[in-house]
Amino acid sequence: MRIVAILLLVLTMVATSSLSRVRLERPSGSGSDDKELLYLPNGRYLKLVSTGQASLVADVVYLWAIQFYSDYGREDRYTYLQHIFGEVIPELDPLYVDPYWLGAMILSVEVRDVDGALALLEKGMENNPSAWILPYLAGWEAEGADRPLQAAAYFERAAAIPDSPSYLRRMGAGMLVRAGRIDDALRDWEEVLHDPQSDEISRVIAERWLRILETRKTIQSLEGTVQAFRERFGRRPRRLDELASAGLIPSVPVDPGGAPYSYDPATGHVSSPAGRILGEE
Amino acid sequence: MDGPDTIPPVFLEGVTKTFRGHLGIGRTVAVDGLSLSTEPGEIFGLVGPNGAGKTTTLKMMLGLIRADRGEVRLLGRPPSDPTARERIGFLPENPYFYDYLTAQEFLDFYGRLKGMGAAARRTRVGEQLERVGLARHGGTALRKFSKGMIQRLGLAQAILDDPELLILDEPMSGLDPVGRREVRDIILSFRAAGRAVFFSSHILQDAELICDRVGILRGGKLKSVGRLDSLISRQVRWFEVAVQGAVPEMPGVESLSSSGSETLVRVPDVETLTRLLASAQQSGGKVLSVWPSRETLEDLFMKEVAEPPGEDAR
Amino acid sequence: MSAGRSPRTLRAIQGIALNTFREAIRDRILYLLLVFALVLIGVSRALSQLTVGSEEKIVKDLGLSAISIFGVLTAVFLGVSLVFKEVDKRTIFTLLANPVRRWHFIVGKYLGLLVVLTMNVVLMTAVLAAILVGESVVAMLPAVALILVELALITAWAILFSCFTNPILAAVGTIAVYVVGHMSWSFELLKNRIPSGWTSVVCDVLYWVLPNLSLLDIKAEVVHGVAVPASTMGLAVLYGLTYSCVVLIVACAVFERRDFN
Repeated sequence: MRIVAILLLVLTMVATSSLSRVRLERPSGSGSDDKELLYLPNGRYLKLVSTGQASLVADVVYLWAIQFYSDYGREDRYTYLQHIFGEVIPELDPLYVDPYWLGAMILSVEVRDVDGALALLEKGMENNPSAWILPYLAGWEAEGADRPLQAAAYFERAAAIPDSPSYLRRMGAGMLVRAGRIDDALRDWEEVLHDPQSDEISRVIAERWLRILETRKTIQSLEGTVQAFRERFGRRPRRLDELASAGLIPSVPVDPGGAPYSYDPATGHVSSPAGRILGEE
Repeated sequence: MDGPDTIPPVFLEGVTKTFRGHLGIGRTVAVDGLSLSTEPGEIFGLVGPNGAGKTTTLKMMLGLIRADRGEVRLLGRPPSDPTARERIGFLPENPYFYDYLTAQEFLDFYGRLKGMGAAARRTRVGEQLERVGLARHGGTALRKFSKGMIQRLGLAQAILDDPELLILDEPMSGLDPVGRREVRDIILSFRAAGRAVFFSSHILQDAELICDRVGILRGGKLKSVGRLDSLISRQVRWFEVAVQGAVPEMPGVESLSSSGSETLVRVPDVETLTRLLASAQQSGGKVLSVWPSRETLEDLFMKEVAEPPGEDAR
Repeated sequence: MSAGRSPRTLRAIQGIALNTFREAIRDRILYLLLVFALVLIGVSRALSQLTVGSEEKIVKDLGLSAISIFGVLTAVFLGVSLVFKEVDKRTIFTLLANPVRRWHFIVGKYLGLLVVLTMNVVLMTAVLAAILVGESVVAMLPAVALILVELALITAWAILFSCFTNPILAAVGTIAVYVVGHMSWSFELLKNRIPSGWTSVVCDVLYWVLPNLSLLDIKAEVVHGVAVPASTMGLAVLYGLTYSCVVLIVACAVFERRDFN
């Protein structure tokens, strides 16, 4: 009878040896900082190893990815974004909606890869046909990339899903006149935030977009004021305070998080961490 | 056909058990062709040196081990039949019981196993605790019990539902004289109530004191079996006499030892003893003590054990 | 057959189950694992703050996984020594000298441990319900029910191993069954990549003999609010309970043939 136990052990080894075919993902570029990601396995193998706790492993990978992508100091870290959010996590938990839209937002806001963002959202839509939030966000991505026709199509698709909110129809209609106008976009997101029918995910996304767009708007305005200063005084201001003391703006604004804006006198560019998806507060 | 009064409590016929060694190498014959049968209402003792196969025999009787060959019957039924175990009580050697239970919980548990109803359990548990002198410790956890107390509790468990046959493996081992006396008394009271007792022991004096019949087991084989007084002659073999003063010379009188004015002599029979007493009186000596030596079980045992193996007794 | 035999059988099993229950309750390992699980469930709330998006998902996932994993660990740690300890300490001798059948012993031990495990699961679920303020835990109950069925299955295996080997090997064996059981779904895929022949047959045998534990895992569905049809639930429960019975029967058979020396 001891033999049976030993046989079972041997069989387990045989079964798990199939896992030895875990592929190592090697970076294509040189000088890559992505040492951590070198060992991130294929989603299917991760699922095999998770022994019934696949959802939890998906959560762990997601939480890890959030921390990883919050570290803005790292260069070249977006190489595997598609892989993590579009392959590993969905393989473990295809119904997990958050990673699709967060990955898409990072791609669109930080990497400016709209098509990548849309691809991620499309994958989410494929796995979650009843999650209206995904085509809804895809509509906003298309709108931000100045593709109103595509945006309208996405909003129609979202509105067609049963139990979706009523304002989706309005958005579809208004998309055709909506082209890169931050103020209009801000107004729409405010609407979503305060609409009593909005669900939690919508509110979370609305808050983030509001912060990003507000920041963008202020940055645009500040850079414009810097230009005006230059035209008047023949040089760029050394600090943003000079704009206030010159009377061009009433006071130096702070970002939605309450921190001051960063200003580079050499180029005239204004920036702020609040214009990013993660790593705030 | 055996009537209810003539069913032997324990019946073994040609019982053999061989153990395979580690990894199938080597064989030990633990019990070889053992046949015996006990009478209702008698105390039977199975004696033998350690490793003779006593415990193996008991386990085969209880169905804990399967015999390779032969027939085993307990109160007329095979040990695989649980009803056979309904009317017996068992106490193993060096018992260990669940130390997280109290004495009461322990007996209650066994009461359940024996099929006793709640009311019966309540009364009997109390009674048996009384009987073995543990009434005060009913609520104590077993891990606090001494070895003697455990043994007594084990006995209480064995006699809990008043079985017809009591099977005990080395019941007196590790007990102090008081404990041994108590166990002996319980066994005797059992016989007085008409119950049968079967126990194994390597302490021959205990067996000699209480057994009706005895079986000597050695190397897995039964060397002798029968009533004590048929196995051991109760006749006096010789006398040992302690004499003070001069010892008269006589044929047959053998001096064993002397210290000071006392001498110990061996006298072969009653006639020589009478002449010695008379002679001692005449020569002014004093006879201090006379002790008749009879054959003991130990003597028989040593005789059996000294013989080379291959001898069988019937 | 004496009259009143059924009540006697029940009484014996009941007695052994009660005893096993008492023994498990007084085992420190039980509380160690339970405290670990409860701490983990409590901490999940804090952990969920790190996420972007649904915090409840993190709490639910961690909670259900904790119940599942610690349930399995408890089943293994307590189960593997159940039979072994009795044989090793020789308490089994006095026990079997009574009019109980050997299978009564196995079934009694099994039921006693199952009661303890159920209490554990109920306690952990209650704590999870407390943590999920405002959310209903009723929707998660089907998943918890299937976790219990999975525990019944694992306990049966633990007892089977405990019948013929020491606790360490038994623990390794049972955990191996658990791990392979959760990989069972991949054997189908593996078979497609292996040319037919004896390796394919081995795969088939493995798939059928070892439990398919992914059938009893509806945690993902429950957390995402996907409805599981009653027929699927019913079949899963039936599969789990039938399988446990089969394993238990094998354990009884193994135990029946054993010599105790």
